[in-house]
Amino acid sequence: MVVLEKNVMLSLAENAVKAALQKGAQEAEAYVYEGQATNIGIELGQISKTHRIIDRGVGIRVVVNKTIGFSYTNIIDDGKAVEFMVNSALSAAKASKSDPNWKGLPQKKPFATIEKTFDEKVAALGSEELVNVASTMLEAAEEVDKRVFPVDGGVGSAYISSAITNSNGITGFDKGTIVECSLATLAKEEGAVTPVCFEFNTARTYNLDPVWVGKEAAKLSISALKTKSVETKSTTVILTQFALQELLAYTLINAIEADNVQRDQSPFKGKMGATVTSEKLTIHDDGLLSGGLRTWLFDGEGVPHQKTAVIERGVLRNYLYDNYSAKKEAKESTGNASRSGYLSTPSIDTTNFHILPGNTTANQMLNEVDDGLIVYYLQGAHSSNPVSGEFSVVATPAWKIEKGEITHSSRGVMLAGNIFEVLKNISLVGSNERQMGSLIAPWVQAENVRVIGK
Amino acid sequence: MKDLLVKINNVATEKFGAQYAEARAQNLYKTMLTIKEERVEAAKQGIENGVALRVLVNGAWGFASVGSFESGILEGAISDACRMAKLASTGLKMPIKLALAKVVNDRVVSRPKKNPSDISVEDKIKTAMAVTKTGLGFDDRVKSCTMDYLDLTGTSFFVNSDGTSIEQDKLYVWGRLTASAVSGGVFTFSREEIGSTAGYELFDEQIPEKLGEKVAKRAVDQLNAKSLKGGKFPVVLGPNVVGVFVHEAFGHLAEADLALSGGVLAGNFGKKIGSDLVTFYDDGTIEGSFGAFRYDDEGVASNKTLLIKDGVVAGLMHNRETAQKFNAEPTGNARAEDFRVEPIIRMRCTYMAPRDQTFEELVEKVKSGYYFKSFRGGQANLDGTFQVGIQEGFEIVNGEVGPPIRDASISGNTLETLHKVDAVGKDFLIDPGRCGKGQTAFICDGGPHIRLSEVVVGGSA
Repeated sequence: MVVLEKNVMLSLAENAVKAALQKGAQEAEAYVYEGQATNIGIELGQISKTHRIIDRGVGIRVVVNKTIGFSYTNIIDDGKAVEFMVNSALSAAKASKSDPNWKGLPQKKPFATIEKTFDEKVAALGSEELVNVASTMLEAAEEVDKRVFPVDGGVGSAYISSAITNSNGITGFDKGTIVECSLATLAKEEGAVTPVCFEFNTARTYNLDPVWVGKEAAKLSISALKTKSVETKSTTVILTQFALQELLAYTLINAIEADNVQRDQSPFKGKMGATVTSEKLTIHDDGLLSGGLRTWLFDGEGVPHQKTAVIERGVLRNYLYDNYSAKKEAKESTGNASRSGYLSTPSIDTTNFHILPGNTTANQMLNEVDDGLIVYYLQGAHSSNPVSGEFSVVATPAWKIEKGEITHSSRGVMLAGNIFEVLKNISLVGSNERQMGSLIAPWVQAENVRVIGK
Repeated sequence: MKDLLVKINNVATEKFGAQYAEARAQNLYKTMLTIKEERVEAAKQGIENGVALRVLVNGAWGFASVGSFESGILEGAISDACRMAKLASTGLKMPIKLALAKVVNDRVVSRPKKNPSDISVEDKIKTAMAVTKTGLGFDDRVKSCTMDYLDLTGTSFFVNSDGTSIEQDKLYVWGRLTASAVSGGVFTFSREEIGSTAGYELFDEQIPEKLGEKVAKRAVDQLNAKSLKGGKFPVVLGPNVVGVFVHEAFGHLAEADLALSGGVLAGNFGKKIGSDLVTFYDDGTIEGSFGAFRYDDEGVASNKTLLIKDGVVAGLMHNRETAQKFNAEPTGNARAEDFRVEPIIRMRCTYMAPRDQTFEELVEKVKSGYYFKSFRGGQANLDGTFQVGIQEGFEIVNGEVGPPIRDASISGNTLETLHKVDAVGKDFLIDPGRCGKGQTAFICDGGPHIRLSEVVVGGSA
């Protein structure tokens, strides 16, 4: 694999910044990104497709009289295209309106050290190895039960690198790897089809268990075959990481982002130091977490990643800031400016959003439940009210728990309520943490969740 | 460009024995704006060049994407794709074949009345700012207004080893406004999207001030809305909700790849799965609409596909691979977001055909239920479970539309719910939107007002 070297990426960024300053920008920041991904795809029960994607580009942000312009291009080996990009950013800025709250790009700060974010072995993974992992996973799923049908899945590896330079002297380069395998299955029996059940492994270093992924996905879909309706009432619900990730992404995460707080779009406004959730919950945004999926040296503005306490024993401790929102309050950025490659300007997002584990094992948590539900997959969480936190979603499916045992699944069960009320009613926090996208969390148990049966 | 792409495809067919090869080269220009209240967060302009290469070798797909038009790089990429496909093909149980598609040589030119490329960034900012200003000024309780704007122009060159060669202009203009209102500890949120493939004349129809006012008014009205009671209720759905209902509760299941994956429509072709009033189309030919295009990303002409007629499943949306499996014609539904991704089966403009009822007739038969006017999000599952979130709704009491409710959703199973369509209106509206299926597609959907005799409503009260 041929990748852009550190010095090539840094000099591309430096040259773009230099050009912008020469052409009249008062400040400039260039971000260079490279992503190379290889994927072996499973479709309709067989390995049938492969992907190899190379995406590189540069984006530049310029400031002229407190107006901001941005431009990007993926034509990086042509000096003219880069010059055109700089001109586009400047013309965009000149067309724009000045922002009295603009207080400058971030200043240089030392980066912390991070670990387990790059693995030579992952970077060097060949297609043969990926195909082997995919076959292993597929066979493991098929061996569980004949009624299992692997619908979709894959095995992939990616190399990602980024370089940033700004006119305040920030300069940074980082590279990392990600490897993953995933399988979505359903079970079919006498014309009945289960919802899609899904398992996966994702890691920064080579750490995959395709047999586990295949088996778990298959077992879940088989257990979804036996289905009975449940009654409409308020009950105990165990939220697995799948469900938590869905529910929090469109609600709690918005509420702790400084931009939303400043713009009156967060129920957490004015609640700093107040108890906002159950005291069982402690949440850190940890951009330095060892091996974390979102662990990098710096954020999308070249600000060092850090660990920020968001909620401690239920008490709100910090919002998440990028440079702009921090300076608006004369604070420091928490290193939460996120970018989608070279195509976008930075915006606030979580790094590794870490709900700290408790000491209740998964089995103990199930045993505690006399009458309740356990929820894996949710449908429709993105339709939640992103400001108030109200949600109305379907569990696909939910599993019923009776006297500490999972007895059967139930389809079409709806959960409705307000996420901030649910978070106040957390009674147990598990010890079984795992990472899913930005979220790293254990299972949590919530009391009094409104369930609408069929 | 054509000669280059022919040469690259020949590498796959001649050197690696590929059964099929296609190359899709695109150059895309984008302008994006994010306006928060009266602040231009950033005015953004960008250029992307790249090629998507797809080959079929021994019945397995190989796909490669690179951001370059350089012959040597493209030859390397297509060679990699062929080798990887060959490797993946070793365990195939059912080798992939393609349905025949008409060989096309065409140049599709877009003819906007107002080309977004000719409009200055200043003017675009002025337009977007007019939206947020009106929204904010509508009422003191409106606290935030965000307008996102995007225009995309460019050209897509498509050449395949069957001899098809198409040069097609791309043009999209899109905007989204969100507003939030706060009063007495109650937070509300309202959103609306607009979009067109015609041109910047979109803003002659969607007057910026009116859009701002509409979204702000909804956020303010919601301040007085009550949480609703969950359970089974009769409901009247507005065209905006019907569109998403058609899209989520049926559209995804009628995507042939998902039908093959075990989706519930697979075994129901030609069978009656809904009431006589249910007729759905997916139509890529509505000129200027957000889901319209002439040729899809496999070079197949876009058409109007009948999906369900009078309750009977009549057709699916196909690409060339699924059309071969179903012994059907490709329908022109293979779409790729850009050159970074492969084409997959996507909807275009999916809608329900109108019938004969007035809105009053639909509502007057409901003793106790809801009128859901406008949606926020929706999702489908292969087993037929659908969910549609509601951002604006009202109670119906004794045949009359009553007080507003907030943050509800409806859910059910397609095979049960389509039988519950018991009355269909004579009005008709289409709204633009975006659909996520790993990639984002620009689509639209709609229909008339309809009534469901019963559906599960998720509410927390």
